[in-house]
Amino acid sequence: MKLFVSEGNPHCLKVLAALEVTGAPCDVQYVNHDETVVPFLSRPALPALLLPSGLHLFSPNAICQYLFEVKGQESSDLCSQWLEWEATDLQPALLQALHMAVLQGKASNLPKFLQGPLNYLDQGLSKRDTTYLTGEAVSLADVVLWAALYPVLSEPSLALGEGKSVKAWFGRVAATHGFQSAAQKVLQGKGLQGMKSYMQRQPSRQSSQCRDTQPCNS
Amino acid sequence: MALRELSSLEKYLELKKPNKYSTQGDKKVPVLQNNNGAPLVGLVTIARHLVKEAKRTELLGDSAESRAVVHQWLEYRVTRLNGCTKDDIKTILKELNLYLQDKSYLAENQLTLADILMYYGIQPLIVDLAVQEKEQYVNVTRWFDHMQHYPGVRRHLPPVVVLRNRIYTGRHH
Repeated sequence: MKLFVSEGNPHCLKVLAALEVTGAPCDVQYVNHDETVVPFLSRPALPALLLPSGLHLFSPNAICQYLFEVKGQESSDLCSQWLEWEATDLQPALLQALHMAVLQGKASNLPKFLQGPLNYLDQGLSKRDTTYLTGEAVSLADVVLWAALYPVLSEPSLALGEGKSVKAWFGRVAATHGFQSAAQKVLQGKGLQGMKSYMQRQPSRQSSQCRDTQPCNS
Repeated sequence: MALRELSSLEKYLELKKPNKYSTQGDKKVPVLQNNNGAPLVGLVTIARHLVKEAKRTELLGDSAESRAVVHQWLEYRVTRLNGCTKDDIKTILKELNLYLQDKSYLAENQLTLADILMYYGIQPLIVDLAVQEKEQYVNVTRWFDHMQHYPGVRRHLPPVVVLRNRIYTGRHH
């Protein structure tokens, strides 16, 4: 099993953190952002995991799920729900926000994109009143959401005004052994600027920005 | 759209009592009102729950590896296919066509939830394809035709004529 990652790519933070938490045995290879690892995809996609069968996983969340399962932790309905929300709601908002902050230098616009998702997360946390997202131990959902939000929540200067529950949860997960070293590997301590070369290669997502675009299969 | 898919999935799974659904937000994300707990939100989350309720967990994959592959294509379905634009369609069809080159199913060598939801989601795209495009994406159309003929899967969708018989074209003479 071999994991391909690239520096400064925020999605790689998820899988490296999952690797640290689970201790799953896996080779890690650093490659360039443009390296084509997954043969059937039109654009280079990292991280990618080469499975023992020879198949590639290209979704960071599916890779994390696999690493947790290899160590015997299956995901619950609640975990699945947070992962789906992360992929369909949080990621499009984060991509726009990071595009704005990293490439256009408009960090002050971040709350406009992230306030909604952060409120949703805050309500989810305060409603259940557990230490972590799905219970009293760090789960797959915590790793994925923590890593997704790390670039924006680890910068106090951004003043996102995240709710109390999010702030406390983020701090608790951050204290978990191994997460800081995963963050250091990906962002090199450079914060948002550490992602610049990665963000420059991302297409600006017109499709999700433009609400007027008619979805083809609604 | 999503609610019809879930109701078709319930029938495929032969669940006795139909569930009550609502939607939330402007993207009309499905919500399952669950009697014994908090409501479940999201097409993939609810579909996975239904599969477990019907005790058909082989549809989620038989090994850790295939469960991850199933997860990946379910995520692809709701992140890439949902709300895709005309420009995205070509990329999606091209990627799936390459992936399905040597495969009959999206994961493993058997039907999984990934095939079912991908089939429901991609049907509107296939309906709109011209004959030449159907031949261009021949692996997708082969897989699609397989799905719509798979016992019990098609349900709410009308059948689509995808391929003409190309065996006797005379090219090899």
